[in-house]
Amino acid sequence: MIFSLSSSIFHFPLALAVTSLPAEVGINHYLLLSALLFAIGFFGVLLRRNTLVVYLCLELMLSASTLAAVAFSRFNGTMDGNIFVFFIITVAAAEVAVGLAIIVALFRLRHTVQLEELTALKH
Amino acid sequence: MPVAVTLSSLQEIAASNQWAAIMPELLLAGLAVLVLGFELVVPKTYRALIPAIAISGLAIILLGVGIHFHTTFLNDDTFDHLLHHSDGGQFMRVFFLLTAILVCLLATVTLERQPVPKAEFYHLVIVITAALMLLAQSNHFVMFFVALETVTVGFYILVSYFRTSAASLEGGLKYLILSALSSAILLFGIVLLYGVAGNRALPGATADAMNFGALRGFLAANPDNFLANVGAVLVLAGVAFKIGAVPFQFWIPDVYQGAPTPVTAFLAVGSKAAGFAVLLILALDVFRPLQAVLVPVLSVMAVATILFGNLAALTQNNVKRLMGLSGVSHAGYLLVGVIAAYREPLAVGAVYFYLLAYLLASFAVFAVMAHVSGSDDADQDLEHYANLARERPFLGTVLAIGLGSLAGIPPLAGFMGKLLIFIFAFKAGLYGLLTAAVVGVVISIYYYFGWIRAAFFPFRRATGLAASEPPRPVITRVGFPVAAAMVLLAAGSVILGFYQGPLGVWLVSR
Repeated sequence: MIFSLSSSIFHFPLALAVTSLPAEVGINHYLLLSALLFAIGFFGVLLRRNTLVVYLCLELMLSASTLAAVAFSRFNGTMDGNIFVFFIITVAAAEVAVGLAIIVALFRLRHTVQLEELTALKH
Repeated sequence: MPVAVTLSSLQEIAASNQWAAIMPELLLAGLAVLVLGFELVVPKTYRALIPAIAISGLAIILLGVGIHFHTTFLNDDTFDHLLHHSDGGQFMRVFFLLTAILVCLLATVTLERQPVPKAEFYHLVIVITAALMLLAQSNHFVMFFVALETVTVGFYILVSYFRTSAASLEGGLKYLILSALSSAILLFGIVLLYGVAGNRALPGATADAMNFGALRGFLAANPDNFLANVGAVLVLAGVAFKIGAVPFQFWIPDVYQGAPTPVTAFLAVGSKAAGFAVLLILALDVFRPLQAVLVPVLSVMAVATILFGNLAALTQNNVKRLMGLSGVSHAGYLLVGVIAAYREPLAVGAVYFYLLAYLLASFAVFAVMAHVSGSDDADQDLEHYANLARERPFLGTVLAIGLGSLAGIPPLAGFMGKLLIFIFAFKAGLYGLLTAAVVGVVISIYYYFGWIRAAFFPFRRATGLAASEPPRPVITRVGFPVAAAMVLLAAGSVILGFYQGPLGVWLVSR
């Protein structure tokens, strides 16, 4: 959907592109977006080599879950998902506080945040 | 919860909370604050009392839980079904308190050698213990997630606690990234389950989709729902990370090596046991309707875990990595017990017994490691153990009993644990898993006895090399409380092998 929309903007008059938008954004669109965010985060964690970028990708994965929780909450008509989001955000904040502290301490000691240069534990 | 919750009904719910049900956890929170406050208020000369306060506080709470083991809340839900109190939950409470006491005792040995603050360590251990206890009793995914993350974030700090050591910080960073990754996967699984179970178009949809009981009811009505299965597998992947099952074991060697020795012990025993307590609740109860998918997944995981753990441990020279990888294989044996429990419900008792035997044996070994290691806590090689039994007969004996129990040598407790699990696996007809487990035990005897041999004989160098002894750290003198604990651990390993008594009857006949 995203790709067809962007290509239609480039090749056709704008009015035509607007009519090709879905009439209403439903649960599936949110879930698709959430799954995409999750996948970007997941592969970012596995493939990127800079600790800070890896950390950003981890937060992206949590955001993907948050988005899905809110969308499900609205779709199902129960408040649990919305409440859960507050807990997720709180936990993510705690995780960032501790995580950045560890990264800063490591940078002071090793002067690098590149994962491939952290090799004190290779036996 | 319906949308139209008024303030007064919320107040009613709040008034119905039975705080007495979580008294041990509340007392732990108080103790944690006390430890920090003591350091702030009291002059420096009295700071040596902090470990004593932490340990005696934990011991008093353990005593209280032991006395009130059969509370009035047993088999009941409290806090609007956030928590469920069961025999198993009570057992895990005792287990985690025992773990915390032993971790604090080891910390008195290891922290002395490091230029790090002391009080915060005990504070964190106590907070994590409280969270572990709540985790083992959770009955709702919000409770489950928050307790799990409290444990995890606490462990980030503990693993990287020696902040002047590159190994500790790198271990901490690795644990941070991989653990946060597993938490994110688990969280996505929870959200998927919540979304599917609340979908009113499906039969058995529930308005309280995060509640374990309601979720189980939904899954029983839709055992083939694709998204529900994906959600359950994602949640179990997060749990598998905690117990260190293949393919989520890759963090274990590095993190175990980098972490301070008491924290390694806490990860190996506390975190792993918490994973199994949760797995018993989720896999056997909540996700039971999905067993057509889960049993094959768990079986493959168990075989891979047993074989990988044992084979990888064969080549290790660093004893912390060796303990980590052999711990992976122990997770595999325990998984066999969990799978057997699908057909033989009493196998749950065997899993608990195995965990207890594993606690006794592991802490005996970690206590010896804490004394043998020097100022560089990550550098603990097999060579450092050369001739240990002759120079320090006490440490050598405790080490031999601990390792023997881990290897499953009769008549030690570890042997009984393995035997019980194998009997239940046989009864459940899991012959393939049983074969893998027996092969694993045979392999494990090789490296455990390699370690014992290193401790009982002088280090032999190949002829032609320099004859000098390898440099090794000075062995710490064993203080009284730690020595008493080590005697109890070793004696427990021996006695539980001969005589299980009422404990064994209670565990295996519930």
